[in-house]
Formats: sequence, structure tokens, C-alpha cells
Amino acid sequence: MLSLSIGMARHRVAALIAVFCAVLGGAALVTATGVLAESGLRSHLPAGRLAGADVLVSADQTYHPPEDLPIGLPERRPVPAELVGRLGRLPGVAAAVGDVSFPAAVLDAGGTPVSVGHPRTAGHGWSSTRLLDRVEVDGQAPGGPGEVALDEATAAAAGVRPGDEVRVVVAGRTSAFRVAGVVRAPGAGILVTDPTAARLAGRDGTVDLVGVRAEPGAAGSVAAAVRAELRDSGLVVATGADRGDAAEPGAAADRSVLLVLAGSLAGVILLVVGFAIAGAVAVSVAAQRRELALMRAVGATPAQIRRLAAGQATVAAIAALPPGLGLGYLLARQFRRLDVVPPELPLTMSPLPAAAAALLLVVAVQGAARGAAWRASRLPATEAVAESRTESRTPSRARAAVGLALIVAATVLAAAPLLLRSAFGVAGTQVAGMLGGIGLALAGPLLARWVAAVVAGRLPARVAAPTWLAVANVRGYSQRFAGNAGALAMGVVFVLTYSLAQTTLLAATSGERQAGTPAQHSIDAPALGALPADVLPAVRALPGIRAAAPVGSTTVLWPHRELGDEAVDAQEALVLDPDAAGVLDLGVRDGSLAGLTGATVAVAEDVVRSRGAALGSSVRLILGDGTPVDARVAAVYGRGLGFGPVAISADLAAGHLGPAPDRSVLVRTDGSPEADRGLNELAATRPGLAISTPDGSAGVPPELRINLAIVVVLLGFLLLSIATKLVAATTQRRTEIAALRLTGATPRQIQAMTRREAGLLAGAALLGGLVLSAVPLILVGIGFLDRPWPAGPVWLLPAAAVAVVVTAFATTELPVRRALRIPPAAALLSPQ
Amino acid sequence: MPSPARLLRRHVEHRPSPDGPAVVLEEVVKTYGGGVRALDGVSLVVPRGSFLSVMGPSGSGKSTLMHCAAGLDTPTSGRVVIAGHQISAENENRRTELRREHVGFVFQSYNLVPSLSVADNITLPLRLAGRQPDEAWVRTLVERVGLTARLGHRPAELSGGQQQRAALARALAPRPAVVFADEPTGALDLRTAREVLGLLRDLVGEFGQTVVMVTHDPAAAALAHRALVMADGQVVATLDAPTAADLAGRLVALGGE
Repeated sequence: MLSLSIGMARHRVAALIAVFCAVLGGAALVTATGVLAESGLRSHLPAGRLAGADVLVSADQTYHPPEDLPIGLPERRPVPAELVGRLGRLPGVAAAVGDVSFPAAVLDAGGTPVSVGHPRTAGHGWSSTRLLDRVEVDGQAPGGPGEVALDEATAAAAGVRPGDEVRVVVAGRTSAFRVAGVVRAPGAGILVTDPTAARLAGRDGTVDLVGVRAEPGAAGSVAAAVRAELRDSGLVVATGADRGDAAEPGAAADRSVLLVLAGSLAGVILLVVGFAIAGAVAVSVAAQRRELALMRAVGATPAQIRRLAAGQATVAAIAALPPGLGLGYLLARQFRRLDVVPPELPLTMSPLPAAAAALLLVVAVQGAARGAAWRASRLPATEAVAESRTESRTPSRARAAVGLALIVAATVLAAAPLLLRSAFGVAGTQVAGMLGGIGLALAGPLLARWVAAVVAGRLPARVAAPTWLAVANVRGYSQRFAGNAGALAMGVVFVLTYSLAQTTLLAATSGERQAGTPAQHSIDAPALGALPADVLPAVRALPGIRAAAPVGSTTVLWPHRELGDEAVDAQEALVLDPDAAGVLDLGVRDGSLAGLTGATVAVAEDVVRSRGAALGSSVRLILGDGTPVDARVAAVYGRGLGFGPVAISADLAAGHLGPAPDRSVLVRTDGSPEADRGLNELAATRPGLAISTPDGSAGVPPELRINLAIVVVLLGFLLLSIATKLVAATTQRRTEIAALRLTGATPRQIQAMTRREAGLLAGAALLGGLVLSAVPLILVGIGFLDRPWPAGPVWLLPAAAVAVVVTAFATTELPVRRALRIPPAAALLSPQ
Repeated sequence: MPSPARLLRRHVEHRPSPDGPAVVLEEVVKTYGGGVRALDGVSLVVPRGSFLSVMGPSGSGKSTLMHCAAGLDTPTSGRVVIAGHQISAENENRRTELRREHVGFVFQSYNLVPSLSVADNITLPLRLAGRQPDEAWVRTLVERVGLTARLGHRPAELSGGQQQRAALARALAPRPAVVFADEPTGALDLRTAREVLGLLRDLVGEFGQTVVMVTHDPAAAALAHRALVMADGQVVATLDAPTAADLAGRLVALGGE
């Protein structure tokens, strides 16, 4: 059967190229998504600074929701310091060290912070050096509270040597230290004596984690002993590659972003890939139609026919798989470069995503081919031959009914932004667009036939022959026409709804943030790891300052019931002081931000009803370090889109955001030049301070960046698959064109005819695409911006129109020219 | 500089004449890549109102002869004149126009346009030529081929015989100088083939239609006024009022079918 398939395939190059391209792109996209998903599940951070430890013991930095994947917790939860002694007494342990980190930055001679590594966690106690892989020290360990040891890179950047004085900003406070030693190990950081470190990290009887070094050769037994010792303690014992997660919980938590990202991409990618493959395979099977009918006539059973049809498409698919899968890994790397996750998090490159993608695509191709050959395989043999000359007589009504039902369902889904002003609402718009496009492709043949029949009836009798023929062809080949128009319309719908829904969400979000941020300036100190505590009073003392308040952000989990199911996801939440109202206008509807003292939160009004969070009620949240808290709702605000569903009080967050919470100070001035001058002078006189415009520097959020990247990649893929499909469809018209030429059509007339068909095709695709996009886009505009049109680049629509027109004409013109080069009599003799 | 006599001759032959022969071939040679001489200097005159059949074994050049004679293909050397037009010297667009005007085709595989109704198929050549169909003539033709009740159908809805009769009506609709039929009954069963051939011959008789038919069926060829037998790119015999037995004998002698 396979050799027969291959033999038959030789004549169907154009159609098989279409399948090849669809599978190539599909394999790349699915594999890339798979790589992201797998990395989100099990990629491992390098252990870095703690690589010398055989075992790391840390708190469980994941939240385990019922019946769902665990969620990473970014804020460090400490472990009891008494563990150090307990683990140190286990047999085979060379050393057990309690490790703490705190914000620290060394200033160079000019007072500028030296940037090496992450200043937020650069400071450690001296004993942490015993967890380094190899330690060589110039000079000695810090011997008292006034002494510090630096790693080589930091010392070099600051230009200091053992014995020198150096200024260090520790947890926001600048003091002078004597450099006791320089540690020759990368990433060792800024080291002080252990008691000083415990004090600076604000730790009393706790440490970040415990690192255990085993005697040579005892690593395995020590790990087992530690596990046994800590059984049922809820602590996590990490060895080998798992150690990275314990070392950097923030980055590890970001890993789940990859999983979320892959999940959100999977839907649209699978839809588009499925659509492209189904289209290409349908063309390929249509090209075989006559042969399949003849096979049927010489005694092939329906099942054999379907296998034959599937075999040919599968050969093309299998040929496309190796390059496609390889391309997928490269694509994943490109996505990775869009900075959605911290740079130290590597991608997991296992063959698993490729295997899954290969399986999925082969099944899809087989299914699509068998489906496309279903009708031909079931016809009585004689009828099959007769029907193979043209299309099956009437487009299926059931198919059209399913298509219309899909369009109706899509319209209902498109109402989502009216109910959900969030990324979920936007997803409704995007899925609605895709569903509508698929619905159109299904309902298209009947629709095209019907419209063409009406048009044909109204055409003036004296219309030019090519025009008349073009309309007759649309009517007679309504499936071919509608398949092509549907594919192009799908492209239009996809581009318009997918990108405009995103940009509308972005416009609405940034619009709310802007409207909700009366503060003109934001002060923070990224190079110091923490904003010095005396900045706030200093700012408030400046002339022309109306208000200044610290604002931070953290991650909280808010378990709630959604559609009857337990739902929880990690959300960014503002950390606000009671005086935040002076710099932020969240659009408070009820209560007051001034009430944000003690265990209180403010919630967005969108979630008040769905999560039972009315003013004064109590809600249960899980803080970023996994601590469950009950908090009273002190305020309900309107700008939930811009500021998220919940904001927590600084009191509630205290102690859960690490040693020195990373906050910036928002400043609202009276707008006078004196105020600005005062701020700038303040920033100039203090090391490491940075003044920026609130949210202005945030730029394009990474989700949007990746969404737009996906639009571009998917659009390229869609256009390629549509173009190859159109070329294949036109190439299959050689016999038809030859018959017309023998009947007396000049090459010029044929070209005029096919150009008119291309015009009709582009027109139908644009019309269908616009009509289908209009409803979701109007609704997304109303839902997010209170106006019946979306926000986004104006050039998108004309660009889409040009792309459709160019594709329609180019993919018709070139194959027709080639077909016309063959003498008509010869074209009739050759099988195609 | 061509001689005056030659200029004169060209001038005369270029003038379309209703009385001249329908098709004239002069020393037509067709060579394909690789030096295969499919036609090796064939000269031939097809008078108006005559029915000529061309026979020969596979590979004898009969299809090439038809393609060159009908202006579908251009000869490597020699001239083809259809209804006074030297079609062999024209480009594809002009050849198509000349064919549309003067040549009708009937093929083994009917070659009706699947998306058009029977009626539209029959008037298609006229529409392509921008000519208004002669309603009475088309009606007469449709009646004569027996498709009056089938005009609104698509080709796929017709039997093979009906499709070939529609193709016959289409070929005759523009009142061409000559109709070329290439194995017109090759795809039909014996009885239907006889019917279609009978119809073809009757149309020659009734309407004075010139027909050139390529076939390898001696019984079919015997219906013509005159039969050519081809072998190796040359006309090896010309038989007037041939019989099937004669033709079959010739073919056997050539080692053909």
C-alpha cells in the first residue's frame, strides 16, 4: 500500500508540498510549545553559589492546589535555625550551614553602586562560603561587625583589596567596612560575620535554607539520612539538579510562568495548526480524487481507499517531521529570548516534546486524510469515477449546519469581554475569532454556491466571457472556492481579533493605570537591592511635594470558586500603606485605602461578588511565601484591570517579603519646577537612587510581547500554508484550463478569468473575515474601552487586506501562467 | 527578399475564402526533443464538406498530425492553412482566436467544463469569441443531438454518450470550417459509440460539416469519405470510400492493432 501511495504521490507534488509545509510549521510550533511546557514543569536552575552543598534543605516553596499543578511561591519562607545543629550531627556530614541572604551593594570610590549579581540577595554570612564549590581567600574572614569579605568580581569592580576601606549599602543603610578578605569564587557575594548577617537579614532563629556538605563519598548516605531526619517536617530536601530551585525560589516560581504561557499558547496554536493541516490534506486528497475513484473501480475497499489517501499525506508529513521538530527547538529558544522568565532559568531540551508533536501531527494528518477521503471511499465505484471529474455535487448541509452553529457559538463567546474585564475576557474574543473562522470554512461551500447562484442569475447577458466563467466557477467549484476563501478569511479574522484584542486589553490596562496614578515620579534603587529607609522622609521634606508613599508588589494566591471548581492562580498584588491614596487613585468605591492597616486588603469590585469579598468581610489569601492569612476587606476599588484584583496592606505583607521589601516611593508634586529640582538633587546626592515615571518605563509587558510574537509566527505559518494550498488548488486546474482553451479560450481570457476569480476570492475572504471579526472586536471595544471599536494599530486592517489580495493573486497567477505554458492538448494527456 | 510569385501566393492563400479547402497541410514536419520525427513531411488537403478519417497504429503520428492540423501545436517546418488562414505562423493567442472561429473539437474525454450547464457548455465557444449565439441554429443542434431535455444539467449528471453528444453540439455551434475528432468514441461502449458515430456522419451529410477524425477503430474510420493510413510520421496510404475490412487489413500489414 505504501509503495502505491508513493507512486501516486509523484504526480501530486504541489498538493504534497502544501501538506509538507503545514506539517513542517505545525511540528515546529507544537514542539516549541511543548519545550516551553516541559521547561515550565521540570527545568532546573543552576545551583550557582550553593553548588558545593550536597544537600539543600529549604521550606516547600510551592503551593499545592487541590487537583491542579503546584504553583511556585516567589517569596522565601525561612526554616528554623536549630536544623543546622541537628543536621550537622548526622553521620557523614562534613558541615551543615545555615544560609541567609540580604540586600547589599558595594559602592565604588565615586559612590556609585557596583553591579555584580543580584543586589537583593548579594549579602551572606561568612559560613555560607563553606557551601561554595572551591574557596580560596586572599586575606582572611571578616572578624567583627565592621569587616566584610567580597568576591573577586565585586572587589575588582569596586577597586578594593584586603585591608582597604569600602562603603557598603546593606539593607538600605550605608556604612563603612574594612575589607578583610577577597574570596576567589564567582557569585560568593558580600560576606559579613554570621551574627551580623543574621541581624541584617532580620532573622531571629531562622535561616533561608540549610546547606549540607557530606564527607567525601558519603553524599548518597547523607541525603538519605537528611531525608529520614526530616520526614513529615514539610521541608524540602534537594540534591543534584533540584538544588537550584532551593537556591532561587523567585526564579523557580517564574518557571511556572512558562507553563502558563505554554498553556495559553497551546489553544490557539493547536487550532491554527489543525486548520492548516486539514486544509492542506483536503487539497492533497482532492488531487488524488480521480485515482482513488479508479482504485475503487478496480476493487479497492472503502477502508483501503482511506488508507491509501492517508498514506500519501502521511509520507509527506513524515518527510516534514524531522526538520519541523528541529525547527521547534530553535523556535522555543527564540521565544525564550523574549524575557518572560529570568535569564538563569534554562530550557529543558528533551526529546519528549518532539515525540509528542510527531505523534499528534501524524494522528492529525491521518484523521484529516481519512475524513477528506470518506465520501469518495463510500461512493459506489462507478459513481466515484463519474464524480471524480468534478466536485461532489452538493455541499453537505450537515457541514454547513455545523459551521453556522460554530459561528453562533463564536458570537456568544465574543460577549465574554462584556462580563469579564480581564485577560480571560480577551481570550473569549480570540477564541471567538478562531471558532468563527472555522465555522465560515465549514459553512462556506453552501454559502458560496448560494451567493454565486444569485450573482450568476443577475449578471447582465452581455457580460464578458471571463467574468461569466469566473462566477460559474465559483458556483460550480463552491467547495474549492469556499475552502480557499475560508482559509484566507480565517487569516484575516485571526490577525484582527487576536492582535486587536491584545492591544485593546493593553490600552485599557495602561489607560486605567495611568488614570489611577496621579503621582508623577517613582523613586527606587534597583542597584542597591532595597530602597534606603530614609528616602521617604527626605522626599516628604522637599518643597512642593503633595504626597509620597511607598508602594511595593508581591505575589498572592487567592483560592476561590470559579464555575463551581476550586480555582487559584498566582497574582501580582500591590503592597500599600494607608497613605497610598495620595499617590494612587484606584477608583475606590467603598471604604478607604486609609483603612489598610493590620491584616487588611483592598479588592477590585469585579471580584466582590464572585469571591464573596464585600467591604468588611474576611477573605483568605495565601501570601507569596505560602503563609495563609485571613484579611478584612478595607476598601473596594474600581480599577481592577489596571491594578489587579487585590492589594494588600504593608502590615499584612511585613515579614513575608524577605529581609527588606523591594518597594518604590511614588511621589506626587504640585507640578512646580522647584519640586522636580528638589527630587533630582536628592537623587544626585544619594547613591543608587533612580527616578522614573510610574509605569512609563514598564514598556510592553512580556505576555503581550510573546502574544505578538506568536501572532507573527502563526501568521507566517498561516500565510505559507494558505499559499501552498492555493497554489496546489490552482495547479489542479490544469485539465480544466486545458479544456477551456480547447473550447476556444485564449490564454488572455483564461488569465482574465482566473484574475477575476482571485478578485472574488480576495473579496469574499475580506468580507467574510471582516464580518466575522466585527462582532468580537466591537464587543471587546465596548467591554474594555466603552466604545464600539478596539484599540490598536490602524494599519493592521489595510495590511491584512493587502496580504489577502496579494496572496490570492500571486497564488493564482503563477500556477496559471505555468499551466498556460503547456500546450492544451498535452495538458489533457498528462494526469494533471 | 521573397520573390514576387511567393508574395502573391501568400497573399492569395491568406485571404479567407469560403470555397477553398477547409484545411491544407504543406510538407509539415514535427520534431520533438531528442530528434524524434513525429511528422515527416505530411501534405494534405481536406475539401469542404468532406469527412476524413486518419488511422494508424500507436506512435504513427496521427495525434500529432491532428494537433498540428488543428492549430493546437505548431509544426517544426511546413505550413498549415485553415479556412485560408496560415495558423502555423501565429502566436498562441491568435491561434486560439483562429481555432475558436474555424475549428471545433471533440475529444475522447469529452472535455466539457464541469462547472457549466450543458447549454452553457454548448454556447461557450461563441461567448468566448464575443459572438451572440444563433439561437435557431443552437436549438436545431441541441434537438439533433437529442439533449433538449438535458440543457440545464451539469456534465457530471450525464451519461458518457450524452456528454459526447453535448461535446458534438459544442463543436458545431460556431459553424466551424472543420471539426477535429480525436478518438471520439474511445471512452464509450460499442452501442453508444455506434450511435455517436452515426450522428457525426449524419451531421456531415445534413449540414455539410467538414470533419477530420483520428481513430484506430477500422469500423469507425470506414464511415468517412476518405481514410488516411499513417505509419512512422508519414501517410502511407489514402483510401477513398474505405471499408472496415480494407482498413483492418492495412493496419495488420503495418503490424499495428
